[in-house]
Amino acid sequence: MVKRAVAIFVSLVLGASFCFVFWVVASHDYNWSAIAPYWRNFLSGWWMTLMISAAALVASVLVGAILTGGQLSPYRIPRILSRAFVEIIRGTPLLTQILIGFYLVAPAIGWDSRFGVGLLVLACFSGAYLAEIFRGGVESIPQSQWLSAKAIGFTGAQTYRFVVIPQAIRRVLPASAGQFANLIKDSSLLFVISVHEFTMQAREVNANTYATFEAYLPLIFGYFILTFPISLLSRSLEKRFSYEH
Amino acid sequence: MSIEAKALSRFYGSTRAVDGVSLSLSDDVQVLALIGPSGGGKSTFLRLLGGLEAPTSGSLCIDGENLSTDELLLREWRKKNGFLFQSFNLFPHLSARENIVLPLVEVHDWLRSDAEQRADEVIDRFGLSAHSKKQPGQLSGGQQQRIALARAIAHEPRWLLLDEPTSALDPEMKAEVLDLIQELCESGQKIVLSTHEMGFARGAADHVVFLAQGQKVEEGDAEALFAGAETGEVRNFLAKVMKW
Repeated sequence: MVKRAVAIFVSLVLGASFCFVFWVVASHDYNWSAIAPYWRNFLSGWWMTLMISAAALVASVLVGAILTGGQLSPYRIPRILSRAFVEIIRGTPLLTQILIGFYLVAPAIGWDSRFGVGLLVLACFSGAYLAEIFRGGVESIPQSQWLSAKAIGFTGAQTYRFVVIPQAIRRVLPASAGQFANLIKDSSLLFVISVHEFTMQAREVNANTYATFEAYLPLIFGYFILTFPISLLSRSLEKRFSYEH
Repeated sequence: MSIEAKALSRFYGSTRAVDGVSLSLSDDVQVLALIGPSGGGKSTFLRLLGGLEAPTSGSLCIDGENLSTDELLLREWRKKNGFLFQSFNLFPHLSARENIVLPLVEVHDWLRSDAEQRADEVIDRFGLSAHSKKQPGQLSGGQQQRIALARAIAHEPRWLLLDEPTSALDPEMKAEVLDLIQELCESGQKIVLSTHEMGFARGAADHVVFLAQGQKVEEGDAEALFAGAETGEVRNFLAKVMKW
C-alpha cells in the first residue's frame, strides 16, 4: 500500500515537473539564426571538451589509484602525504587550483601548455575524489576475504589482483561514474586559462550575439551525449562484475 | 605430525589470546582436536600453527621446521597447509571451480589444465559436480563449506587446519561436512581442528587439547580425556556441553 502510494507520488511529481520544464523551455521564442553562423565554434569547443575530458579521465584514474595506494600504505609518510593531498584538493576551489597551476606553478617549471596544465589540474582534482571512492571500495571488502587470501598463500599483490580489486570494482563503479560526469562538466572552468572548450565557446557566442539561451542551450545536448554513455557503460559493467552475496 | 610449541603466546594489545602454551606431540598423532570455551584461544592457536599470525613470543616447530616471523617464510609455511574457516570465506566473485583452480595456478604454479582437472576431481569426490560452475552465493552453507574444504585439500597439504568448520551450519549441513572430514581422517590426512562438536572430536581425534583463557588446561589421548578428565574445569565443561 505504502509502496504503491510512493510509486504514484514519485511518478506524478517527476512526470509533471519534467513535462512542465520541457514545455517552458520548448515554448520559448528562439532565434536560432543568430547563432547558426557559429556552429564551427560549438563543434570545436565540444571536441576540445571531449579530448581534454577523455585524457583527464584516464589520468584521474591513475592519480586516484596512486593516492589510494598511498593512503593504504603500511608506511606513515606516503599515508600522510596522500591524505594531505586529498584533503587540500577536495577542500579548495577548482578555479583557484587552475589559476595557481597555470600562472604560478607551470611557469616556474617553464611549461606553458594550457591544454597540458588544464588536463593535469583536472586529473588531480578528480583523482582526489576518486581516491576516496577507491579507498572506500577496498576497505569495504570484509576482513575474512583478506584472511582467506592470506591462508591460501597469496602475496599482498595477488590478494589485491585476484580478490580485492575484482570485488571492489563492482562497489566503486556507480560513484566513479558520477565523478567522471563531474569531471566532464568541471572542465568548463578551464575558461579561466583560455582553453577553448565547449562552455567557453558558448560564452563567446553569447558575447557576440546576445542570444543567451540560443548560445547556452546546445551545452545541454553537448554535455549530455558525453556523460550519458558513461552512465550506460557503468551500468553494463556493474552487471558484468556482479555476483551474489 | 610432530609439534613442539614452547611458551607460545599471542597478545593483541592487553588481550592475551594465547598465553604461554607449550605442547609436545609425536609424529603418530594424526588428528588433533582443540576444544574449550569460546574465546579461549582455540582459533588464535590454530592461526599460529597455520602461520597466519606471528607469535608475540615463544617458539613453534612442526615436523622439525621452525616457524619464522619473516613474512616471506611465513607465506611458504602457509602454502603447505590447507586452512578452513568457520564462515567458509570462499571468493564470492568466482565460481566454485575457479575458487579451487586459482590458488593452484597462482600460488602452487600448476598448469591451468592440470589445476582444472584436479578441481573437477575434488569437486566430484565431494559430490558437488552439479554445482561447480555456480558462485558461492548460489550455494547452501553446507555446499560452500564443502567447496572450501575441497579448496583446502586440492594441493595436498601436509596438514589441514580446520577452524570450527561446522559452527555456522545447521544440523543437516553439519553432518554433510563432518562426514567429509571423517572421510579425510580415514584416508590418513593429518588434521588439526578446533571444534565444539564433542562427539566428533571424541570419535575422530587421537589427541585433544583443552584451551581456556589462552592457556592449556589439559591435554591427552582423546578417548581417555573424554572418559575422565583430570581437572574440574574440563569435567564441568564437558558435562555442560554434552548434556544436550
